[in-house]
Amino acid sequence: MILSLRRAAGRCLIVPFLLLPGLSGPAAAQDDESRFLNRIRRLTVEGARAGEGYFSPDGREMVFQSEREPGNPFFQIYWMSLETGDIRRVSPGIGKTTCAFLSGKNGDILFASTHLDPRSLELQQEEIAFRESGRERRYAWDYDPAMDIFVEQRSDGELVRLTDARGYDAEASYSPDGEWIVFTSNRPMFEEALKGREARLAEVDPSYFAEIYRMRADGSGQERLTSVPGYDGGPFYFPDGSRIVWRRFSEDGLIADVWTMNPDGSDPQRVTDFGAMSWAPYVHPSLQYILFASNKLGFSNFEVYMVDLAGEKEPVRVTTSDGFDGLPVPTPDGNGLAWTSGRHGGPGSQIYLADWDHEAALEALRSAPLRGSR
Amino acid sequence: MTDSLTPFFRAARRLRAAAVAAPLVFVAPFAGAQTADEVRADVLALTAPGTNGRAVGSPGAAQARRYLIAELAAAGAQPLPGRGQLGIPFSFVERVDDRGSMLRAGGHRRFGSDQVRALAFSESGEVRGELHFVGYGIRLPEGAEVRYDSYAGQEVRDKVVLALRYFPDGAEGDERSLFQRHSGLRAKAIAAREAGAAGLVIVSGPRSPNPGELAPDGFDIAAPGGQGIAAVSVDGPAGESLFAGSGRELEAVQRSLDGGDPLDGSFPLPGVATLTVDLERVRGTGANVVGILPAADGGFAPPWIAIGAHYDHLGMGGSGSLNPHGPPEVHPGADDNASGTAAVLAMARQVAETPLARPLLVAFWSGEESGLLGSTAFVRDEIVPAELLAYVNLDMVGRLEDNRLTVQALGSSPVWPRIVERANVPGGFDLALGDDPYLPTDSSAFNSAGVPTLNLFTGTHPDYHRPTDTADRLNYEGLARVARFAGLVARRVADLDEAPAFVRVERSPDQTPARASMTAYTGTIPEYATEVEGLLLGGVMAGGPAEAAGLAKGDVIVEFGGTPVLNIYDYMNALAGVRIGEPVTVVYRRDGERRTTTLTPTPRP
Repeated sequence: MILSLRRAAGRCLIVPFLLLPGLSGPAAAQDDESRFLNRIRRLTVEGARAGEGYFSPDGREMVFQSEREPGNPFFQIYWMSLETGDIRRVSPGIGKTTCAFLSGKNGDILFASTHLDPRSLELQQEEIAFRESGRERRYAWDYDPAMDIFVEQRSDGELVRLTDARGYDAEASYSPDGEWIVFTSNRPMFEEALKGREARLAEVDPSYFAEIYRMRADGSGQERLTSVPGYDGGPFYFPDGSRIVWRRFSEDGLIADVWTMNPDGSDPQRVTDFGAMSWAPYVHPSLQYILFASNKLGFSNFEVYMVDLAGEKEPVRVTTSDGFDGLPVPTPDGNGLAWTSGRHGGPGSQIYLADWDHEAALEALRSAPLRGSR
Repeated sequence: MTDSLTPFFRAARRLRAAAVAAPLVFVAPFAGAQTADEVRADVLALTAPGTNGRAVGSPGAAQARRYLIAELAAAGAQPLPGRGQLGIPFSFVERVDDRGSMLRAGGHRRFGSDQVRALAFSESGEVRGELHFVGYGIRLPEGAEVRYDSYAGQEVRDKVVLALRYFPDGAEGDERSLFQRHSGLRAKAIAAREAGAAGLVIVSGPRSPNPGELAPDGFDIAAPGGQGIAAVSVDGPAGESLFAGSGRELEAVQRSLDGGDPLDGSFPLPGVATLTVDLERVRGTGANVVGILPAADGGFAPPWIAIGAHYDHLGMGGSGSLNPHGPPEVHPGADDNASGTAAVLAMARQVAETPLARPLLVAFWSGEESGLLGSTAFVRDEIVPAELLAYVNLDMVGRLEDNRLTVQALGSSPVWPRIVERANVPGGFDLALGDDPYLPTDSSAFNSAGVPTLNLFTGTHPDYHRPTDTADRLNYEGLARVARFAGLVARRVADLDEAPAFVRVERSPDQTPARASMTAYTGTIPEYATEVEGLLLGGVMAGGPAEAAGLAKGDVIVEFGGTPVLNIYDYMNALAGVRIGEPVTVVYRRDGERRTTTLTPTPRP
């Protein structure tokens, strides 16, 4: 149970797509998502599932991951023009990929991929055979050690490898000026001689060793920022680059909370103490609150929440529809919200976009009770 | 669930010949985008005084049609090749008139048109035969859970049979629903014909809901032909008079039948009856409006992308109205379907300004409300379906609510999910998606012909098919957005390098009429709304028993398991009697030639 809980919680669309719909808790009328979300529209349709849409700084483009490549059951990375609807595949088409991000400096597209693993095609076939067998399992992110970080350069379309350490390198995003990349890696698992309990953990839960790293945009100067036992992942810079937000799992992997720290790893501050799996945080451009996903209402019932930047108040629930809601990403102007949702029913989540009522959000955060007071 | 069928070779060949590299980024034409004011003006014109609900063949429809022709011509649309004009008439049986049917019995008993009403599906002519009472005249199919046969042990060959309307009152539960399905006037006519009777006389019995009343003539505009037997209903006194001399009371006999005892409920009556039926099938003329807008290179030649909407509605009400017994009243049909018509018109004007990579066929159908008459006639008579890349239909798109647009028939081609996705990025709807292409709207006529279809719909509402479906209740901002979305879809189809593949989606069993009695599967796809004598196949399911039997689209089944098939009703009736694994002899016409094959029904896959 612990294992599956943890595995359901990587940052990168570790969306448990076999979750039953209809599990959302009852919402009082004043708690309805229409308080904050208007003109909801569905952005992705093609393929079994899609998620993790991140905007370009001008809000005209999005990169996302989707299972839609014929013959490949895993995510690939796609670029979308939000003006025309044109979509193209960015990643090589083979292997697994995750977590794309657009550079605010030059439009380069960052993502993690296993395509250099010679076993990629074999693994694709295995996965297809498994799905055709009709057996079911909870969605599992496997922290593939062949996962490395790549960038597609907009200037020449060239694909450049940025990391080559043994271990899972992924969950990468740029600083607003495009000079830095913050990412997640479980390379400590391969760097250190593991003994006893840690050796056993390496067998069953490689995410336990994941820590936050940063590097220059060209891959140089890789530097570890966290060193607390348990899974640290899903880091993003604040919109002004002043700090980093990420989610930290408890050592036993049962609970995750939202944290922030300085870009050099100093001054880590805990924002939530929500007693649930709270993950996928992203700071609103107003720098006044953080949007995140949590299963506060039940093990497999994820909803989008928000919390003030310092975490002085209790989080406020945002989404109230049936089905998975998570991975919230505000538009760069702060007046829209993209997120990943299974609200249409059916097996896979897709990306949705809605108008975001920032004033209503501020008002709801103001009237939220103090943290720990309920 | 689906089987991919051969893509359209012809269209694909042409496309390859004309293939151009699709630009990586296409620029969506936001300039000149449709406005709410523009579509409002069109809806108001289509629901203006004088249009009177735009019933097929009516002056009101003609008024609306003149507007559409003028607007389409102004946008630069050309008539279909070989057609000199945008309006394309089609003929249909508008109504059936009884010109004086008559019943004579025993020389001195004579009943005229005040007491005798021919059923609309009766054959015309005179038949004469001994009289025979057959109770409720019901014959449940052999495979049914309940056995019931009013004709069991009765010899009625060449006789005129008298049957009660409705079904035994005592029936309950499953039995009752079985009776309901097999006790219609059509079913009784088929049962009588199958028993060899020369004529059928229906009377509403003294214990029935409308004792002694004449039955409505049962006219079905989509199946207006004869059912292969002379059939009339008569009033109570005429019925009693035929019964007289049997030494029994009709009321008492009916009571015994209602008690569930059919054995004593059929018997010969004294005397001979002569039935004279004089029906005139009055033909009407409806008209579609169809034009071609040129491609960016100025070309008009196929393949075309087709987009359309029906412009007809229910006129002053009638049987299609949800207020059928109200006084005649204009049913303006603002949402159904002035909305779709206005959206197609707006999209056509926009394409005229910024043409697509392929020519666009723009269509406005009539006769949709009467059973897809216009679109069916068009697909049958006017085009080669393979010349269409895809058909996009808009039916009821004026009531956008909660930003929710329903997009249906995605299963008809693998290109739809990606095209709908890309169109909806600028389109911005919260989509409700459906794969099923078997829809109660004109897109079905194209699906039957093997054309990928897509249907747009903003949902039903309490004003549906009522006089309150008025122009002031539409969401015109939403309607303009739907028009833009349709334009983006068409643009994406036009930019494809290859013709979209067509997928024959299997019809889900719960859409087949009378599904409970239909456990056996034949894999035929009947074409509805045809005037062909027999059952025209719109297609066969890939891998199904019909395909295995060598049947194909375009074949006309005229006999099924020994039962003559004159139309869809006969066919449904014959289907009810087949069993899984038992071969059935099927006689059909292909290219004017009569052929025979054997079909073995399987369990429904």
